[in-house]
Amino acid sequence: METYEKAYQKWQEKLQKQLQKRPERKKSFQTGSQIEVDRVYFPKEIDNAYINKSGFPGEYPYTRGIRHTMYRGQLWTMRQYAGFGSAQETNERFRYLLDQGQTGLSVAFDLPTQIGYDSDDPMSLGEVGKVGVAIDSLEDMEMLFDQIDLGKVSTSMTINASAAVLLAMYIAVAEKQGVPYEKVRGTIQNDILKEYIARGTYIYPPKPSMRLITDIFAFCGEEAPSFNTISISGYHIREAGSTAVQELAFTMANAIAYVEAAVEAGLKVDDFAPRLAFFFNGHNDFFEEAAKFRAARRIWAKLMRERFKAESPRSEQLRFHTQVAGSTLTAQQPENNVVRVALQAMAAVLGGTQSLHTNSKDEALSLPTEESARIALRTQQIIAHETGAANTIDPLGGSYYVEALTDKLEEEALRYIDHIDTLGGAVSAVEKQYMQREIHRSAYEAQKRLERNEDIVVGVNEFRTEDEQAPDLMKVDEAFVENQLSRLERLKQSRDTEKVEAGLAELKRKASGNGNLMYPILDCVRAYATVGEICHALREVFGEYTS
Amino acid sequence: MDRIRVLIAKPGLDGHDRGALVISQALRDAGMEVIYTGLRQSPQQIVRAAVQEDVDVIGLSSLSGAHNVLFPAVVKELHKQEAEDIIVIGGGVIPADDAAELERNGIEKIFTPGTPTGTIAAYIEETVKGGQTEAFAPVKRIDHIGIAVHSIEETASFYSTHFQLKVEKVVDVAEQGVRVAFIPAGNVKLELLEPLGENSPITQFLDKRGGGLHHIAVEVDNIEERLNQMRKSGVALIDDIPKTGASGHPIAFLHPKAAHGTLVELLEGDDQDGYV
Repeated sequence: METYEKAYQKWQEKLQKQLQKRPERKKSFQTGSQIEVDRVYFPKEIDNAYINKSGFPGEYPYTRGIRHTMYRGQLWTMRQYAGFGSAQETNERFRYLLDQGQTGLSVAFDLPTQIGYDSDDPMSLGEVGKVGVAIDSLEDMEMLFDQIDLGKVSTSMTINASAAVLLAMYIAVAEKQGVPYEKVRGTIQNDILKEYIARGTYIYPPKPSMRLITDIFAFCGEEAPSFNTISISGYHIREAGSTAVQELAFTMANAIAYVEAAVEAGLKVDDFAPRLAFFFNGHNDFFEEAAKFRAARRIWAKLMRERFKAESPRSEQLRFHTQVAGSTLTAQQPENNVVRVALQAMAAVLGGTQSLHTNSKDEALSLPTEESARIALRTQQIIAHETGAANTIDPLGGSYYVEALTDKLEEEALRYIDHIDTLGGAVSAVEKQYMQREIHRSAYEAQKRLERNEDIVVGVNEFRTEDEQAPDLMKVDEAFVENQLSRLERLKQSRDTEKVEAGLAELKRKASGNGNLMYPILDCVRAYATVGEICHALREVFGEYTS
Repeated sequence: MDRIRVLIAKPGLDGHDRGALVISQALRDAGMEVIYTGLRQSPQQIVRAAVQEDVDVIGLSSLSGAHNVLFPAVVKELHKQEAEDIIVIGGGVIPADDAAELERNGIEKIFTPGTPTGTIAAYIEETVKGGQTEAFAPVKRIDHIGIAVHSIEETASFYSTHFQLKVEKVVDVAEQGVRVAFIPAGNVKLELLEPLGENSPITQFLDKRGGGLHHIAVEVDNIEERLNQMRKSGVALIDDIPKTGASGHPIAFLHPKAAHGTLVELLEGDDQDGYV
């Protein structure tokens, strides 16, 4: 029997097993004209070339998707990023979104929390509660998840330099709710390399930062096996102005660095790789974006199998979240953004994303209002339930254009990855500012093309309207800052100071030596030490990064 | 004049510096000396750097919503250091209400997303040089005054009977829906505009205002350069590129709101004095 026939048979067997375990959403799927829709469509002849390049859904190299049934089995997770002001206000928005049919939470933290400053730190001036919720201590975290069962919901947290602290707080809340660790599900972003490259919320230099990350890998491997320990992010690289190729390449280069660091720290690839997740941008160029996601899966599968000798299929499967591109939203004619978001989201769905955030139309102006946040969620629901895009696997597979783009993106990304290898890997390339310079060059070229009218942005350099009406915008109540400060003050007086100090001293001791830092951090958190106190303790040992 | 010196600064904790970097580069390309502070600068650090580097302008960028606190803090610190001659401009994700408030509180100008970098460069150049643009001479004269009328015949007879002014020529401009009559008066002309066809813009004007003064046309040199300059400075234009007017000259209209209510036409004349 030919190899490809065997592969087909093997796939069929696995598929049948899957279907028994978890039936699809419906018995059968039809188009609007009631034409029967197959699970997946293949070329007329399935040969070895096809199997090596595209393969079957759920099978290496996963070009067509990482699941055997994809969205016929289960839709992507609709996960809207939210957070502002106080933990209490954000808790209300979370419960509203869950009521509206959202299926996972995604926490936005304010910048002081992300950079390890308390709300009362002079560095926090003007930033408290602005781009996300302000969390100073476990007390705030308890309030954030009040009446939300951490055993039922999965929570994604956009937190990087201070990820260990916020993860510890999340786990401590679960403890208090009586939810066992192994039932805690979610993701922390925890991707420090792209912070140096593109997003800017770093605290410590790269080396100790990488240690914190591998400590989290090890801790979750032991204690919270359902938690995604990192979300390796191309999103912000793209927002900073990179091309799709650069987004793909730099994300993969960073991923390689994390895997290498974990292996060096003594972890086994198949023990931690299944919990690595990715986060990509859903940008404007519809077909290139869909192809990008397909290429990403193929690159990752090959890297894990060939470079890192992974043996578990789960190590080879690239799971990713997509957020559509905030930087493509225009302040002019903001209603147009609803359309942009819908198209970008569709590309992500056609590219096989596991979860999706759709932006609100007013985000070039302010935080979203409740109304615009609802339209954003509805956009996903329309794609899921009305367009039929979820009825078959990888509908763009086999398109001459999309397949050619997939190959080309893979090829060009691999060329970048090779070059970064010659620079000594991603950590060293970051220190040499290599990625930063490449991204800036692309950003500037894009701006010039726009200003020469070679690129058109509707409503900005073409099709403008005079005398636009200013939309209603979301306003965060500034009064909450004082409330936050007085609650922090009260906490510092009421907690067991000796316990806090002992915890911080132990953390510093461990940080100067060896040992997993997650455990002492968890102890500090339980004693109600603040984010600022814990991060300052580590600053004393690790120092701070300056670009 | 020496090269203009600009400090681009990121106050607060915001890490989004794509805009700051792109604008730094664009201002450099426009011939300015630009210093970029890097991330996470306090108002004190920013003002210290501005004074040390002897800059003309500070450009602040924040996308995190902290602008209402941090931008005025920079202005306050400039006063404290007696460096209030330094012009402060800003940009980022800033709602219109906040922008207006900041511009009342010592921030010279807020530029929001979608602003071309050329507009910012032109603004800095003009503000630093005290608003004097060396490139252009004052406009030469008023070429004509446009008057919307129901009937050229009836209106022209008024001017001929009582002022002894004669219609020089009548032209139909079908694509703009007007019939135009020129009446020379010294070195200015009256331009009578009568609607031509159903959808004439003049009909709308007559319906709304009942006729009368419609626009003034100023004669300029090099209309294209002037339009470019105006566009860069954020002047609202009706015509981005010149078209041919009834007199056969290149013309372009500005948006009435640009001149605070009056519709102004630019017209590139030939070199001879007087009317054509």
